Amino acid sequence: MIGFLLKDFIRSRSLLAGIAILLLTGLTSIYVGGLFLERQEDTMAQTATAQQESIAHTLSHVADDDLGLFLYYVRFGLVNELPRLAGLSVGHRDVHPAAQNVNIRNLEEQRHVSVLRNPLYQLLGNLDFSFVLVFLFPLVIIAFCFNLFSEEREGGTWSLVLSQAERPELVLQQKLLLRFAAVQLTMLLLLAAAVLYLRIPPDGYLLAFATVAFLYLTFWFSLAWLVVRLGWSSSTNALALLLSWVMLTIVLPGALNALVVSLYPVPEAYEAMLESRDGYHNKWDEAKAPTIARFKEIYPQFAEYEHPEGASFGWFWYYAMQHLGDDEAAPATAAMRKKLERRNSLSAVAGYLFPSVHAQLSFNTLSRTDLRNYLAFQDKLNEFHEAKRLEFYPQIFAENAVSTVDWEVQGTDYFQDARRVNWLAAVLPLLLASGLLLLVSGRVGGAYAVREA
Amino acid sequence: MRPSNVILFLKHTFTELWKRPGTKWAVGLLNVLAFFAVITAYGQLREQQETVNDYRQEVRERWESNPDKHPHRMAHYGYVAFRQPYPLSFFDRGVDSYVGNAVFLEAHRQNTVNFSAASLSTGLLRFGELSGALVLQALLPLLIFFWGFSIVAGEREDGKLRLVFAQGATWPEVILGKAAGLFSAALLVSLPTLFLTGVLLFFAAGESFASLSRFGLLLLSYGVYLSLICLLTVWVSAVRKTAKTALLALIGCWLLFVLVLPKVSQVAGQLLYPSPSKIAFDRMVEEEILKQGDSHNPDDPYFKHLKDSVLAVHQVSSTKDLPFNYGGFIMREGEKLSTLTFRDHERRLLARYEQQHDIVQRTALFNPYVAIKYVSMALAGTDFRAYRAFKDQAESYRYELAQTMNELQMEYIGNNIKTSADKRAVLDRSHWHDFPDFAPTPLPFTDSFRAAGLALFSLCLWFVGLTALALFLRRPTSVI
Repeated sequence: MIGFLLKDFIRSRSLLAGIAILLLTGLTSIYVGGLFLERQEDTMAQTATAQQESIAHTLSHVADDDLGLFLYYVRFGLVNELPRLAGLSVGHRDVHPAAQNVNIRNLEEQRHVSVLRNPLYQLLGNLDFSFVLVFLFPLVIIAFCFNLFSEEREGGTWSLVLSQAERPELVLQQKLLLRFAAVQLTMLLLLAAAVLYLRIPPDGYLLAFATVAFLYLTFWFSLAWLVVRLGWSSSTNALALLLSWVMLTIVLPGALNALVVSLYPVPEAYEAMLESRDGYHNKWDEAKAPTIARFKEIYPQFAEYEHPEGASFGWFWYYAMQHLGDDEAAPATAAMRKKLERRNSLSAVAGYLFPSVHAQLSFNTLSRTDLRNYLAFQDKLNEFHEAKRLEFYPQIFAENAVSTVDWEVQGTDYFQDARRVNWLAAVLPLLLASGLLLLVSGRVGGAYAVREA
Repeated sequence: MRPSNVILFLKHTFTELWKRPGTKWAVGLLNVLAFFAVITAYGQLREQQETVNDYRQEVRERWESNPDKHPHRMAHYGYVAFRQPYPLSFFDRGVDSYVGNAVFLEAHRQNTVNFSAASLSTGLLRFGELSGALVLQALLPLLIFFWGFSIVAGEREDGKLRLVFAQGATWPEVILGKAAGLFSAALLVSLPTLFLTGVLLFFAAGESFASLSRFGLLLLSYGVYLSLICLLTVWVSAVRKTAKTALLALIGCWLLFVLVLPKVSQVAGQLLYPSPSKIAFDRMVEEEILKQGDSHNPDDPYFKHLKDSVLAVHQVSSTKDLPFNYGGFIMREGEKLSTLTFRDHERRLLARYEQQHDIVQRTALFNPYVAIKYVSMALAGTDFRAYRAFKDQAESYRYELAQTMNELQMEYIGNNIKTSADKRAVLDRSHWHDFPDFAPTPLPFTDSFRAAGLALFSLCLWFVGLTALALFLRRPTSVI
């Protein structure tokens, strides 16, 4: 029987067309992912070059005895390393910068930089592999399965099956399994092509990515099987499945996003902006002693340095002012960060309920292209900025010459998001969803198998 | 063609649709969805308007409450400009979530507009935002397709179509009548949504005439869009042999229009017209500015020449003897040069974006979904042009601020003063008060109208084309 079904499957033009569409869009998406990786890597390389240029240029323009002025200009690059897997799920990497170049002045005014990208193109979205998986694969699954049983009944072949097969149900199961195998194989084939083309390392992230993809497609087959077992007509099945698709991929994620955004608005972003500006700039017109006292309170290790009495300017005072910009914005920045974390957790938890959302968010998490990656990068940027400041502050305050610093070793730093794969969170929601559907479909319908055509 | 027949088909189609078991549910569901989308978006808009107003006031107060000081310190203190969303943005979000909301304006440099909604959001945003526009542009057409795929093909399969024609009906009457019937059913979703939008717009915008004309044209555009969707549905149902193949064709169209073509055109645009990254752009600008000259370097040839010519014009031998503050003069010239350079590069970047837009916009000719998307965004003030209007005005304001401070320095500060900390270098704070607040004006309706030109034309073309197809359909397909 299975041999006959296989022949039938291969002969069926619409089934082959479905697979062909998946292969075509899948390969296109992998190519698009490659373009994205290339572009990001170019940006990263330019960050390193820009840093070298910045140092070289400043060396030739600033007097050797003015390290304070030198470090006013020089910028240091921190790159947010891009896993190759990001080529499959671009996530928010096209919204946030791939790298940041910062000087040791106030960080708050430098950290929020928008990328230069056509916003219309951001709105239209990336045709990456995760899009093909989350949106297109389910459509093909629907097209493959909606009339699994009803076409037999409506075409009059079901009575033949009933009269000839010992267990008619088995015929349907085999038909389904055949489609299941064909679709999953297509997915794995595309994934293999992606691994080769994008040079994705075969690690735990990749394995988890493949598992989530496999389980997500399994979810759609389970849903389709439930609908098939309900034994409605072809058009009702198609309607029910398409409605599920519209709900799961358009309506519910959109509603969820609206909810998350309304629950946690982020006016703190503006607050931080004003606080950091005033925190620094107002100090110019205020008495110097409180500024310096506050700075020493934060960094007691600099207690020995003093602003020269009566002087209208000094680098010690200047960098203290700069730092107070960050210091005064810190509460607003922390509040903003907390809101973003809440947005992220709420999305993730709500995503457990909706396989489409969960799959997309998991792909982003595994590719480290999600909001959490951005937040972790920002944390690293804080550390990086502080490390640079603490390295150079004593040298500036001691009025060392520019040439006493070895500028050759001041290279670009890299942030690697090495968080571990949370297998349980990635896999369990999808397993439960499919399990539940199969359980329900075992209880409902089924009687159709003996119902007369 | 007899109008009475058309009306007959209209009534019949509408009654038949209304009696179908799922219709009331579908209409109810879409209405709930649209209301939810419109109301939450409206809530967010009001909150954003309020936040922006509060912070705008705060920025102004902080600016004016600055003490007496050297004007260049004020140029560095700068200003923060906030983007105020357009009133209709709650109906169609367009690119609003992907463009920045606040920009720090200071002397010497052009900062990016930051804190876009996208930069603060989770991966959910990329599924697309729920809005009244989404319901009318994408979801309602899908419902129309489901309502109408069998509207002719089904009757042919049942043999009813033969009876209809035997009674003397013609193809144009059938198609136009049934399309009008579908359209009247579609009104059950579109009218309440647009009505609610109109009412809320009144609260969001007041009786501003600009919003009124925007909304009026928006109504008209959606009317044309939905009627062409209805015409397309009936026409496909008429030329396809069976209801099943008609449904497949219509769903295929929907997927192609909504899901595939926009993304493919985006990819094509990126390949054909790549645009520079931020760091590449900055390096280009910096390199050119460095080439022009360095105002801080006393030996710089450009600024040395400038100095010599200024001295010659005023017939003095030292900058100390000039009738204005030389430092302020140099900064004014430096600002002028660097701004010109930046704007030149930005103009090129925007021209590149324009090319990228064109790729997508041209697909409107064969994709009505993209056409209505463009029209709707432009009218809602959530397209790139509306954003650019804000960004350009913010940049002009920044330039004005920096140059006003430089001119104050030239006029009031003596040439023998070395630092901004000098007591004699301090200007009265009334000068800050005299510098006006940043008050951006929205893009005029006519500009938005022009931006939507090609897309509007495409909508009309589709409408006329499909009507013509209906009128001239004689017997391309059997009635049996």
